[in-house]
Amino acid sequence: MNRKKGDKGFESPRPYKLTHQVVCINNINFQRKSVVGYVELTIFPTVANLNRIKLNSKQCRIYRVRVNDLEAAFIYNDPTLEVCHHESKQRNLNYFSNAYAAAVSAVDPDAGNGELCIKVPSELWKHVDELKVLKVHINFSLDQPKGGLHFVVPNMEGSMAERGAHVFSCGYQNSTRFWFPCVDSYSELCTWKLEYTVDAAMVAVSNGDLVETVYTHDMRKKTFHYMLTIPTAASNISLAIGPFEILVDPYMHEVTHFCLPQLLPLLKHTTSYLHEVFEFYEEILTCRYPYSCFKTVFVDEAYVEVAAYASMSIFSTNLLHSAMIIDETPLTRRCLAQALAQQFFGCFISRMSWSDEWVLKGISGYIYGLWMKKTFGVNEYRHWIKQELDQIVAYELKTGGVLLHPIFGGGKEKDNPASHLHFSIKHPHTLSWEYYTMFQCKAHLVMRLIENRISMEFMLQVFNKLLSLASTASSQKFQSHMWSQMLVSTSGFLKSISNVSGKDIQPLIKQWVDQSGVVKFYGSFAFNRKRNVLELEIKQDYTSPGTQKYVGPLKVTVQELDGSFNHTLQIEENSLKHDIPCHSKSRRNKKKKIPLMNGEEVDMDLSAMDADSPLLWIRIDPDMSVLRKVEFEQSDFMWQYQLRYERDVVAQEEAILALEKFPTPASRLALTDILEQEQCFYRVRMLACFCLAKIANSMVSTWTGPPAMKSLFTRMFCCKTCPNIVKTNNFMNFQSYFLQKTMPVAMALLRDVHNLCPKEVLMFILDLIKYNDNRKNKFSDNYYRAELIDALANSVTPAVSVNNEVRTLDNLNPDVRLILEEITRFLNMEKLLPSYRHTITVSCLKAIRVLQKNGHVPSDPALFKSYAEYGHFIDVRIAALEAVVDYTKVDRSYEELQWLLTMVQNDPVPYIRHKILDMLTKNPPFTKNMESPLCNEALVDQLWKLMNSGTSHDWRLRCGAVDLYFTLFGLSRPSCLPLPELGLVLNLKEKKAVLNPTIIPESVANNQEPVNSTNNHGQSVGFQNTFSNSQEEEEIDMDTVHDSQAFIYHHLNMLERPSTPGKEQSSGEMNMHPVSAAPMSVFSKESNSSKHSDHHHHHHHEHKKKKKKHKHKHKHKHKHDNKEKEKDPFAFSNSPASARSICSPSLSD
Amino acid sequence: ISEIGRSAKSYCEHTARTQPTLSDIVVTLVEMGFNVETLPAYAKRSQRMVITAPPVTNQPVTPKALTAGQNKPHPSHIPGHFPEFPDPHTYIKTPTYREPVSDYQVLREKAASQRRDVERALTRFMAKTGETQSLFKDDVSTFPLIAARPFTVPYLTALLPSELEMQQMEETDSSEQDDQTDTENLPLHMSTDDSGPEKENASVLQQNTSLSGSRNGEENVIDNPYLRPVKKPKIRRKK
Repeated sequence: MNRKKGDKGFESPRPYKLTHQVVCINNINFQRKSVVGYVELTIFPTVANLNRIKLNSKQCRIYRVRVNDLEAAFIYNDPTLEVCHHESKQRNLNYFSNAYAAAVSAVDPDAGNGELCIKVPSELWKHVDELKVLKVHINFSLDQPKGGLHFVVPNMEGSMAERGAHVFSCGYQNSTRFWFPCVDSYSELCTWKLEYTVDAAMVAVSNGDLVETVYTHDMRKKTFHYMLTIPTAASNISLAIGPFEILVDPYMHEVTHFCLPQLLPLLKHTTSYLHEVFEFYEEILTCRYPYSCFKTVFVDEAYVEVAAYASMSIFSTNLLHSAMIIDETPLTRRCLAQALAQQFFGCFISRMSWSDEWVLKGISGYIYGLWMKKTFGVNEYRHWIKQELDQIVAYELKTGGVLLHPIFGGGKEKDNPASHLHFSIKHPHTLSWEYYTMFQCKAHLVMRLIENRISMEFMLQVFNKLLSLASTASSQKFQSHMWSQMLVSTSGFLKSISNVSGKDIQPLIKQWVDQSGVVKFYGSFAFNRKRNVLELEIKQDYTSPGTQKYVGPLKVTVQELDGSFNHTLQIEENSLKHDIPCHSKSRRNKKKKIPLMNGEEVDMDLSAMDADSPLLWIRIDPDMSVLRKVEFEQSDFMWQYQLRYERDVVAQEEAILALEKFPTPASRLALTDILEQEQCFYRVRMLACFCLAKIANSMVSTWTGPPAMKSLFTRMFCCKTCPNIVKTNNFMNFQSYFLQKTMPVAMALLRDVHNLCPKEVLMFILDLIKYNDNRKNKFSDNYYRAELIDALANSVTPAVSVNNEVRTLDNLNPDVRLILEEITRFLNMEKLLPSYRHTITVSCLKAIRVLQKNGHVPSDPALFKSYAEYGHFIDVRIAALEAVVDYTKVDRSYEELQWLLTMVQNDPVPYIRHKILDMLTKNPPFTKNMESPLCNEALVDQLWKLMNSGTSHDWRLRCGAVDLYFTLFGLSRPSCLPLPELGLVLNLKEKKAVLNPTIIPESVANNQEPVNSTNNHGQSVGFQNTFSNSQEEEEIDMDTVHDSQAFIYHHLNMLERPSTPGKEQSSGEMNMHPVSAAPMSVFSKESNSSKHSDHHHHHHHEHKKKKKKHKHKHKHKHKHDNKEKEKDPFAFSNSPASARSICSPSLSD
Repeated sequence: ISEIGRSAKSYCEHTARTQPTLSDIVVTLVEMGFNVETLPAYAKRSQRMVITAPPVTNQPVTPKALTAGQNKPHPSHIPGHFPEFPDPHTYIKTPTYREPVSDYQVLREKAASQRRDVERALTRFMAKTGETQSLFKDDVSTFPLIAARPFTVPYLTALLPSELEMQQMEETDSSEQDDQTDTENLPLHMSTDDSGPEKENASVLQQNTSLSGSRNGEENVIDNPYLRPVKKPKIRRKK
């Protein structure tokens, strides 16, 4: 189970190799939301005695399996359906996470496992021994899928096509198993033939080339035939069916865009840019786009904004925009560019194993960054890098680290490299979504570090090498065994780096890839005048969680009077102090221009600086070549110089943040100057607005003149003749547009001595709203108006409450009345003239929540709940839900929490379900150390159920539920649960020692329902009875037993589960074994019936009887088994599902 | 008497004069057979009638009200002999309403408040006639919010520009006429299922030519599998 180590190439974990797969979906019913079809896999056995084939399949109802036209028995067992089986009282997240990781392992295709196990008919064994080809034909159907395939069926009159009903595949990482049986691994490549029969008014878009479209005989349907000749992993297969409008890209005819009816004009505008992205990538990679065609599909209720699959991408329809929209344009373009980058790395080149994922995410993120740099400029790029760096640093410091390349030695959970986390990072499916986002972020930052090390030229050469190897391989026939060249591994990637560049980047990899954590620097300095030396002290914090020690070079840039100088310091174990010689004597009398880093020479007013020192400012690691956080101390005038004269936007932003601590007139002046400077990067200016507001608030008693920014705004955006009226909108200049949007928002944060927003400012904003005139503007002003409402919300301060009186209209503050009037009008106008993406409604809802929270308006979630209903635009729903989440927290409302959790379970839109959990996690109603009336046993049970079995159809959702559980209750047993009886621990220990011989084999063999082997009860006795009876002998009460059972089970899990797959690999050997062949006997052709029972718990006594009978049989076998081969049965027996299918009524007789 | 006058005029004109003189009249009288010598005696007779001079009446003064303003003197380019200008009121437009406001500030002010009033009235009306939500439990009328109603297809209203915006778009960049390319894309109707076989074949043919066409780098024919016609089940052409 250990990942193959590098150079030898790829070794499949499976005893066979898949070469070709046919997926045929003959019927799609939108009304019933069902799908019927079959798959056919062509496989070559690689070992002689292959008699079981494990495939991945979830949700699918499998009717029939044939191998080479012979009926084959199969078993379907999905341990992830319900992670922890017995109704144990153990509500401990540690326990759950381990069990979940084990469950995912048990079906992990990368370990050769799968939910579906097919027995090769004995007639074929000889055939297999000759390693001849097998064709596995599986008929399946899907009914109302809850994950993997998403149906959007608007509830209105008309045919499905008229309604715009559509369906598309979705999911997180390898989720293809949700909609057809396959080897759902990124490392199992094969060629594909895909056929979809759909309504004649619909289009089916899928991977590869559309070979032909043929009508069915009744002419009411047509079949789309796709061929994908480039070997592709099942996880990269996708599908979208709907009455799409079709647009062939006018620049590249092999690119086709699809959107929902009526949106064609938007589609035209949105995709008109795509060809430039294509050109860019093809140019830098010096490689043609690998697939012969590319399709973009824009769908409603998308799972994620961008999902990349082989030769097609599925986008959210909400990315479409018209030419009038400014703000969405760059965002959408970024999404397009991201999707395209992943076509090269992620779809065409796939990964060998999960631990190599970082390479793909890193490369695609990195080339996407290059595109950003080219498209939006260096400033935007550096700003983005800084932003990503800040994010990853904050996340790692919060959670304790993100590990890019986890290595699992021995597979024991003990040496789990991420023990600080509440989830396992061994599988993509156990990861918290936030962790995964941060993982991607870190991956591309590390790629950038590698680029810093080996130069961009070499970097691109490496990419080109990977791509050209892959494209050579892709054109080969399967027999040449070349396809593994299309998989990238960490070691392979590092090897080609060292081949191409000849440089050793091992230390870098060790630091950032094999190890988690970021670096935290604290810097301060003193200037030694006598020696003319800068004494720099750099400390590190490497003891807090999420940090690591950094040893190596560190660049420091010192701006002196004579120019800017780079110094490379060697950070070592013990040296804190670094002496840096200064080049210039302090001489302030000579008037001379001061050279900057970029060669520019500027005049500066040096009166502010220290007369004795030639230092203007100092920067540590200016190129962000370490993943770090720097806290550096320098005096305020140095920050001011840095802000004014340093040309790097990152430095400017750092200076602005630092200046918040220096509320002086000089800071004010520096910020105002930056604000006014047209050449300055607009994001810096926007940031300066907020800093200026903060400074003004700190200086409130000494502030002179009009409120900050007011006169500036007036000068820039108001009429010359009447300064109180804003000019009619003209957003042709985007920089000033963004500034115009931001300034009022920042101004509204101003407070006077009473900590109220000055009346003047409020009136000013109201006037802006009043005089806003967009008639002559080429662009929509919806974002601008939305931000004006945000500004109104920002101006709200807590109401002066007189002994908690009820909020009514009569005691409404007059200012608030004005604000409310605007909000009411805006919100109502939205109903008549809706704005793009309903930005105004979103802002209004947020503002209303602010008013409620500040006690001006009675706190009431009803309004938000109505906006959160299904059928509103997604942005509106999320804004409303956010307000409800906030209400739940502030008012500690059990009812609302229940309402939210119900929505998590039932909402039709997967993104909303995910987002609610996400928002609850970020803004929790309570946390583990908090007393709250909400924290009770019922809630624990409910959440437990949600993550245990309620979210099995969506990895992301389940991990979201785990995150929430962790935030609310922590890792250990929730505090609100009644304490387990005293003596439990003791008992446990004793029991562990004493009961081991009897219980362990049982829980191993049959952990679904512990039965005491010696205790033969009446057949109709329920299992609980059985249990207590057996335990009475040892005088232990039920609770304890449950707990100890769980405990032991859990330990066994930890010890044995991970090693099972390894054993399973040698399934050939197993089959020789007479005992392990036993489960085969129960393989059924009629698993239809067993399938049904999958979804029901057995409540009938009859069932139990049968089960019991059966169990005995089994137990003996298993015991037997255990003696000889202890761990074997685990893969089968660790879930009731398996037991059920084994014990299905038809079989037990 | 009129005969006298007529003749006298004739005589006078006969002698190329415009004004008759005494001699003209004398000649006339003589011609008519009067004895001129008796005339002074006749004039001095005692019972003669004396015709009094008509009484001198005051010239009627034109009322002041009608002379609106001074008559304009002739400008220099009009010769002085031309008639006077008529009274100003006959040709000057007289304002009958208040002075129009041309001040930018006031205009903006008016536009803003007018729009706001319209919006408020409209939304209030909508709120009155439909369902509402309220922020205050005790008061439903002061800040009436039109109730949120879910859409069947929420993304359409959210993404498509409203008609008003479309209009504005057209106004602002009427110069940029969309050179639409619909001609290429629109013919493809996924629902055109019942096109006759001959038509189908024709389009297949066309498609074949377009195939070879695009190979030759022909720009205007796009070969895209999604634009190809749907094949009939029986005639399965392998491409």
